[in-house]
Amino acid sequence: MMIRLVSIAAAIALWWLLSLAFTASVLPGPWLTLQTLVENIAAGNVLIHLWMTLVRVTAGLALALLIGVPIGVLMGLYRQVERALDLWVMVGLTVPSLCYALVCFIWLGLNEAATIVAIGITAAPSIAINLWEGVKNIDTRLVAMARVFEARRWTVFRRVVLPQVLPYVMASVRFGLGIIWKIAVLVELIGRPNGVGFQLFYWYQLADMPQVLAWTLLFTIVMLIIELAILKPIEHRLFSWRPRVEL
Amino acid sequence: MNDVVFSVRNLVKEFPSRDGAAPLRVLKGLDLVVRRNEFICILGPSGCGKSTFLNILSGLDPRYSGEIDVGGRKFKAGKPPLRIGYLFQEPRLLPWLTAEQNVDFAMRSCRIPASRWTALKDRHFHLTRLDAFRGHYPHQMSGGMCQRLALVRALCVEPDVLLMDEPFSGLDELTARRLRVDLLDIWRDTSKTIIFVTHNSYEASFLSDRILMMSQGEVQQEIPIDVARPRDYDDPEIFEINRRVVKLFLEVAQAAAPATP
Repeated sequence: MMIRLVSIAAAIALWWLLSLAFTASVLPGPWLTLQTLVENIAAGNVLIHLWMTLVRVTAGLALALLIGVPIGVLMGLYRQVERALDLWVMVGLTVPSLCYALVCFIWLGLNEAATIVAIGITAAPSIAINLWEGVKNIDTRLVAMARVFEARRWTVFRRVVLPQVLPYVMASVRFGLGIIWKIAVLVELIGRPNGVGFQLFYWYQLADMPQVLAWTLLFTIVMLIIELAILKPIEHRLFSWRPRVEL
Repeated sequence: MNDVVFSVRNLVKEFPSRDGAAPLRVLKGLDLVVRRNEFICILGPSGCGKSTFLNILSGLDPRYSGEIDVGGRKFKAGKPPLRIGYLFQEPRLLPWLTAEQNVDFAMRSCRIPASRWTALKDRHFHLTRLDAFRGHYPHQMSGGMCQRLALVRALCVEPDVLLMDEPFSGLDELTARRLRVDLLDIWRDTSKTIIFVTHNSYEASFLSDRILMMSQGEVQQEIPIDVARPRDYDDPEIFEINRRVVKLFLEVAQAAAPATP
């Protein structure tokens, strides 16, 4: 915790030092950025944009999991599915998210559904790859053990297979969330009239650097809160049995 | 004969080969009778089909030909009509469950009535001297303790037969030796039928009533061990028997592969 605080303080100090060398229109300092952010919040237009972005991120993540998890699990379980799909998962991973966004807006129109579909499809391949890897790593010796002890199929799945796959699901949620934040902002920039991405682009066009940084800062803080207040505790609860690696 | 637990006749197991050649015959007509409360050791070199045999007996592998009768009834493929306790070469514990939860998992799977759980656990944790570790996770325990926990799990499901697949081969000699002695005590106290697979001839000589020497997918020799129980691990009589067993073992191995020096 101490180390973390020091590293944050060091980063802010470095930011401040750098900002001394530039004008505020190129690199505003931490204080000015924070002031801008506080003014924005006081003006009351922050929440709606942040909320819209969060909704898109959450829905996009849900869609990505809905597509990615079954594909990954099936690829891990069945060699035929693996052979049929591995190329396409790779292709899906390579196509730039901008292409998905443009195609979705053209096909589905400039609306929320298109936004969420674009986000979901972009993030799905990496989630599928994670799960594919996870299912392949299932310890079949434990499955055999459970069968010797007459465990029903459902019990084997729930109590032997699922706990082994869960770390990979968790990793892909994390990883997916990281990707999805970035895509969501990009998609908002090209096709939505609100959201953090829209705001970033708006202020960029006005060349207002303090505002651009203020929105970036806000975004980063919210992401950290989600990571620390939601994901970390869930992970801790799920995996408290795991020994710590000590090198 | 009421006290026959398993009777196996002409058991054949083949593994299909990959490149269209003749399938690999792992068991070539195995015959075996196991009586109630007997301690049988199947002794054989690696790759002789010992583990394959246990997999069939435990119901894990339903693809074989031949006949297996269990207590006079036909053995239905994949569904042994009697309860099996299995001790694998590795402990095979679920790492996200504590020692006690691992045992609970097996008892729940085997549908042991919950009213008996406490008594069963108390007894077997005590027998294996693991009382103090019921709340520990497997990674907090040593290899020998994990294997003992696996034994607790196998005993708590009240098995008719205990199948053991080289359960002590991954442990250091001192630990293994202690567990062998413990196992005989537990066997005496619980009167189970045990089929114990090993490639360690001294282990087989010390533990069993009968050694079935297996090679090339068949039982080549049957050696009764008439040493009185309880046995002493350092009994010269067992050393003497072991010497004979090793000699036979070498002969059998040589007959199997005459070309190798």
